[in-house]
Amino acid sequence: MKKSIRVAALVAAATLAAGVLVAPTANAASKVKAAIAYDIGGRGDKSFNDSAAAGLDRAKKQFGATVKEVTVTQGTDSEREDKLRLLAKAGYNPIVAVGFLYAGPLKKVATEFPKTQFAIVDDSSVALPNVSSLVFAEEQGSYLAGVAAALASVTGQIGYIGGVRIPLLQKFEAGFVAGVKATDKNATVDVKYVTEPPDFGGFNDPAKAKVIANGMIDKGIDVIYSAAGGSGAGNFAAAVDAAKYGNKVWTIGVDSDQYLTASAAEKKNMLTSMLKRVDNAVFDVISAANSGKKVNDSLGGGAFGRTYGLKLGGVGVSYSGGYINKYKAKIDAAAKAITAGKIKVPTTPAK
Amino acid sequence: MLEKGKLSGMRRTIIIFFGIIAILSIIRVATGASDLTSVGTAQAALLLSVPIVLAALGGLFAERAGVVNIGLEGMMIMGAWAGGFMGSKHGPWVGLLAAIFFGAVGALVHAIATITFGVDHVVSGVAINIIAAGLVRYISTILAQGGSWPGPSQSPDVEPIGQNGLPILSGGKYFGWQSPDILNSIGEKNWFLISDISRVLRGLTGELSYVTMIAVALVPISYYILWKTSFGLRLRSTGESPIAAESLGVNVYAMKYWGVLLSGGFAGLGGGFLAIVAANHYQENQIGGRGYIGLAAMLFGNWRPGGLLAGSALFGFADALQLRDSAAIHALLLLIVAFLLFAAWRSFKKGQRIATIVALALAGFFAWFFVAFEELPGQLVTMTPYLATLIVLSLASQRLRGPAAAGLPYRRGGLK
Repeated sequence: MKKSIRVAALVAAATLAAGVLVAPTANAASKVKAAIAYDIGGRGDKSFNDSAAAGLDRAKKQFGATVKEVTVTQGTDSEREDKLRLLAKAGYNPIVAVGFLYAGPLKKVATEFPKTQFAIVDDSSVALPNVSSLVFAEEQGSYLAGVAAALASVTGQIGYIGGVRIPLLQKFEAGFVAGVKATDKNATVDVKYVTEPPDFGGFNDPAKAKVIANGMIDKGIDVIYSAAGGSGAGNFAAAVDAAKYGNKVWTIGVDSDQYLTASAAEKKNMLTSMLKRVDNAVFDVISAANSGKKVNDSLGGGAFGRTYGLKLGGVGVSYSGGYINKYKAKIDAAAKAITAGKIKVPTTPAK
Repeated sequence: MLEKGKLSGMRRTIIIFFGIIAILSIIRVATGASDLTSVGTAQAALLLSVPIVLAALGGLFAERAGVVNIGLEGMMIMGAWAGGFMGSKHGPWVGLLAAIFFGAVGALVHAIATITFGVDHVVSGVAINIIAAGLVRYISTILAQGGSWPGPSQSPDVEPIGQNGLPILSGGKYFGWQSPDILNSIGEKNWFLISDISRVLRGLTGELSYVTMIAVALVPISYYILWKTSFGLRLRSTGESPIAAESLGVNVYAMKYWGVLLSGGFAGLGGGFLAIVAANHYQENQIGGRGYIGLAAMLFGNWRPGGLLAGSALFGFADALQLRDSAAIHALLLLIVAFLLFAAWRSFKKGQRIATIVALALAGFFAWFFVAFEELPGQLVTMTPYLATLIVLSLASQRLRGPAAAGLPYRRGGLK
C-alpha cells in the first residue's frame, strides 16, 4: 500500500519533471525555470549573495530564463530545507543554494528529488549525482592579493583579519600568506580571526574588527586584508581613522569589488579586492541547464561540480582605484605561474 | 558611618584601579607584552565596555524596579537599527536620540506585557528579542528594495561623531586651541609604572567621542538618581517590596513603567553607540549578545552602578586584549594566578578551607598552563573575556544579592 503510493508519487514527480523539461520548448523563451536560494543577507548584501544575484540576472537577460529568488530569514536548517523543498516541488530546475550552510538541508532535499538538478556555492560535501558543487580556489585569488600587499607595504608588516576561523576562511589566509612570503620573504603576516566557531558573530561585528585593525596598525602593520563579511567595514574605518593622524594604511576587500561600494574616504585606502566570481558559477549552472547539460566535473570524494580558480576566471583581484596598476606585471606573472601549475598555492595555513 | 579600618568606596576603587595597573606593569616588564598597558588597549577597552555598561545600566533600572529584562538584547537591536536609519539620514545625534526612543519603544512593549498584563518577565523578554530582530529585518528589507539602503543587512554610513580629550593632560582641542598632551609624553618615556599609568589614563581620557563621555557620566548619574533622590528610593522600593511601597503611597505601576522605559532607553543608546560610534553603520546582528553580557555585568556588579562598571570594564579589557594581541592574553594568565592567590589568601584568613583549596588549585592550574604553553590556542583566546568574568563572578557570587521582588508579578492590593 505504502509502497504503491510512493511509486505513484515517483511516477508523478518524474512526469512533472519531464513536463517541466519538455512543455515550454514550444515557447520561444528559454525552457529553464531556475531558482536561487540566498543565505541570510540575500540580494543586496554587497557580498557573495549579490554576486550570485548578478549571475542570475545575466542568465535571465541572455536566455530569458524564468527565475525565482528566496532568502533565508531565520537561518535555521529546517527553514533552509523548507525553502529548497518548496522550490523543488514547484518544479524549479536547476536550484542554486548560496552558501555552505545549505549543505545539510540540500543533502536531504536533493535525495528526495533525484530528477531535479541542484547546485551549491562554497561546499563540496554533498556527494550526489544531481548536486553541482560550485567551489572556488580562494587561495589563488588571495595569493594575488598577498603579492599586491607585499609590494605595497612599506613596513613589511601585513595583517589578515578573518571573520570566523573556519576552513573556508583559512583557505584565504593560507593563500594570502603564501603570496606575501613569495614576494617578500622578510615580510610578516599577523593573522587574527574575529570569533571562533561555533560563534559566527565574527561576520557581523565591525566594532570588533576595528579594534583588531587598530591593534595591528599600532604594531606598525600597514596593509590589512579582511575576509570577514560585514565586519570588514571595521577594517576600512580603522584605516580612515589612521589617515587622520597621517598614518597610511592600505586595506584589501573581499568577494566583490569593495572599492565600488566604499565611501570616498575609504576609497583612498582601498588597495584592491580579492574577487570571487560567484556570478560566473551561477551563470554556468543555468547556462548548462539551458542546453540540457549540467556542471558535473568530478571533484573527488564523490562530489560533482566545478572548482573555479584563476583558470576559469573564478577568482582574481580588482584594479579599481588604480593603486596596484604598477604591480600588474608581477601579479599577472604570479597568476600565470599558478595557472600553469608552477606555483602550488596551499589551502591550509602552515604550522 | 564607616566601619573602622574600612576604606570609603571611592578610595578603595582608586586603590584597586592603580593596584591592577601596577600588577599589569609588573607582568608587562616580566613578559614583554607591551600591549597590556598601551594607550590603544585602554582606548579599545573603553570602546568595547561602553555598550555593555549601557546595557547593564538598562538592566539595573528595570531590575531595581522589580522587572527582569531579558529583552535588553532586542532593545539594543532596535536602538542600533534606529541609529543607522535616522543617523544616516539626519546625522549622528539625531540617530542617537532615535536609538534611545526606539529602545524605549521596545521597553514599552515589555512594560505593558509584564506590568499591566502580568506576563512572565522572561517569556516577554525573549519574545522581544525575537520580535525585534525580525521587525528590523523586515523594515530593512523594504528599505533595501526601495533602494535607499545598500542591502537589508546594512544601513548607509553615518557621519562620525566629534571627539575630544581632556585639556592639558590628553591633548584635547578647545575653541581652536590645541592643548598639550602631557600624559602621552610621560607615557612615551617608558618609566616603569608611571608611564604605564599615564598610558592607561591617556587611553581613557584622550580622543574620546562625546557619546563615550556621556555614557561614562551616566554611571554616576544613575547612582545619584537611584540612591540620592526620592524618585530613586521609590523606584528601588518597588523592586524590594512593592506591597510595602504601595502601603506608603508609592504608585508602584508608574515606578515600574519608569524603570523599564529608562531601561529600554539605556539599551537603545547602547545599540546606537555600537552602530554610530563603534562602527559607522547599522549592521545586522552587530549586537551579538552584548545585551546578555550587560545583564551578566549587572549581576557581577551586585545591582550597583559602580560594580557593573567594573564588570563591564573587566570584560571590555579582556576583549580588547584578546582582539589586539593574543600574546598578551598569555601574559594575562599571570594576572589570573595573582588574583586567585589573593582570593585564596582571603578565604584562608576567613577560615574557608574548601574555597582556599579550590582557589589554590586553580592558581596552580593556570600557572602550569602559563609555563607549559607558549601560545594559547585561538579558541581559548576568544574565550578570555567570558572566562575572566566567570572566574570573578564565581568567586564573588556568595555575596551577590539582587532586589528581592525582581521577576515577581505584582498586582495592586497584593492580589496574586
